[in-house]
Amino acid sequence: METVYQQSPLRSNLSVVWNELVKNIKFLLAYPVIIVFWAIFPIFWFIPFILQGQAFVGGLTSESFAQATGTSEFIPFIVIGAVLNSYVGTLLNGMGDNIRREALQGTLDYVLAAPCNKASVLIGKALSESLSSTIFAISQLAISTLLFGLGISLGVMLPVFFIIILLILGLYGLSLIFAALSLMYKQSHGFGQTVGYVFYVFSPVRYPIESLPFWAQIFGKLLPLTYAIIIVRSLMLLGADLSALYVEVLVLLIIDVVLILAGFYLFNWMEEKTKKSGTISHH
Amino acid sequence: MDNNNEDYRLREVKCPTGFNWSNLKAELRAVWAANIKDWKIEFAYPESFFRQLISPLVFLLPFLLYGLVLVGGRYSDDLAQLVGTGDIVTFIFTGYMLMGFIGTAVWAMGFSIRMERWFGTLEAIYVTPTSRLGQVLGMALHSTIHQSIGTLIQFIVIYLTFGLALKIEGILPALGIFALMMIALYGFGIVVSAVGLLLKEGWMVSDGLYSIMMILSPVAYPLTVLPTVAQQISTAFPTAPALIGMRSFLMEGYQPEVIINVFLHLIVLGAVWILFGILVFRLVDVYVRKRGMLKKF
Repeated sequence: METVYQQSPLRSNLSVVWNELVKNIKFLLAYPVIIVFWAIFPIFWFIPFILQGQAFVGGLTSESFAQATGTSEFIPFIVIGAVLNSYVGTLLNGMGDNIRREALQGTLDYVLAAPCNKASVLIGKALSESLSSTIFAISQLAISTLLFGLGISLGVMLPVFFIIILLILGLYGLSLIFAALSLMYKQSHGFGQTVGYVFYVFSPVRYPIESLPFWAQIFGKLLPLTYAIIIVRSLMLLGADLSALYVEVLVLLIIDVVLILAGFYLFNWMEEKTKKSGTISHH
Repeated sequence: MDNNNEDYRLREVKCPTGFNWSNLKAELRAVWAANIKDWKIEFAYPESFFRQLISPLVFLLPFLLYGLVLVGGRYSDDLAQLVGTGDIVTFIFTGYMLMGFIGTAVWAMGFSIRMERWFGTLEAIYVTPTSRLGQVLGMALHSTIHQSIGTLIQFIVIYLTFGLALKIEGILPALGIFALMMIALYGFGIVVSAVGLLLKEGWMVSDGLYSIMMILSPVAYPLTVLPTVAQQISTAFPTAPALIGMRSFLMEGYQPEVIINVFLHLIVLGAVWILFGILVFRLVDVYVRKRGMLKKF
């Protein structure tokens, strides 16, 4: 009598997610220099803004800055914006690059032909990207705290972590869209970089969103990073309570849902299209 | 002779060698050909071409907006005390205008070798009877022209949006300083491209060097806000004296007494970086070929 090994669908999917996560982490650990780079070098990108602040206002606080942002201390303002923005760099291109790497290494055919739910593969990839991004962000925050003497209360870290998860979910959605484009057009990296520019200018990473022209503010308010930065700064710098920021949290949630649904729909559609055209392994 | 003629196709081609005028002309033709090749590749990806054209503007805007929010206006008394001029928009613009050209040195030149390796054309380029450095300089020429167009777009947008208080009569001597800075930066870029031949993850070296030079150059702040050690290190790079010199010519109120020092400083740096770059490139070139590392990535 033939014995058929059967596993519950949930367990199978979890196993796929776990193995995809482990595979990507192993890949990252094979390049320790990359880990050191992303853990330290993004700090160098915002140091010029801190030095600029010192030269322009002759100290570490600015009254004009306080009027525009609610806090006179520009260093924590810059650090929080930069650390959250680092998620954009790694997550936005991470999934597309990951898919493209599979194509370059010749393993994409096997991954997509495997008898498992593709969503599990994508979730595994997304989890590995967010895990590495969070490790890098914690490292940057810790180094910045030591370098610039930031006072961070541990009490706010739980709601901050919750907001970071919401930010990651929104970026997953966008990342899925880029992964779908990567399947079809192969070079999604350029598109991801262009969208990265949009985040860089229209989100309140270095300045409050109110300092932008009205049309640019509308554009900025469609981005998940905008709400994440506003909420985290309110929690960490202004001592606000999460319940007082429910409108921003709700908008962030809505953006997340829209982006994730659009991402999964687009990925499934593009996968079918590339399978039919036989261009999956092209690169 | 007809180009399709068999005799023409099978003719003996003599490659000029040694340090003479015909060899120099041949090398310049190779530099030009490498430049044209890069433009053709660039035009094959129009989306990437346009994105790179606007990137100088995209990276400048946060510095400007952040500065305006910090000061609460366009003029900073603290900056005026440090450098003699308080116009933050013109100060940041003149600084950031040059930063893109550092990118030319560390990214375009440093990364050019890596790109050829990815495309699988590095070995083919290596066996052509031209100087390897000529290839790198050709890529640098393409990148310099590209960056100049991006800087022009940056200038037009900032001028129309914020207005710039630049001294027109200072443009010509400022361009002289710019040319001296570019010579030194090319030397620096040659060193980076040699590192790109050696290392698998050369992009990290390029990015790291760019970030460090950004901090050590007085782009958005005067050097006086840096620690003394950092100020001393910054004198080894051409951007610090070039920015001080160019601002002296272009901005009202900037200290002009430093100009002679700036010219001498840049001439010395140019000579040192070019010689050092050529030396490092030659050594690395011999090393990677002996080890058969050209195709590794």
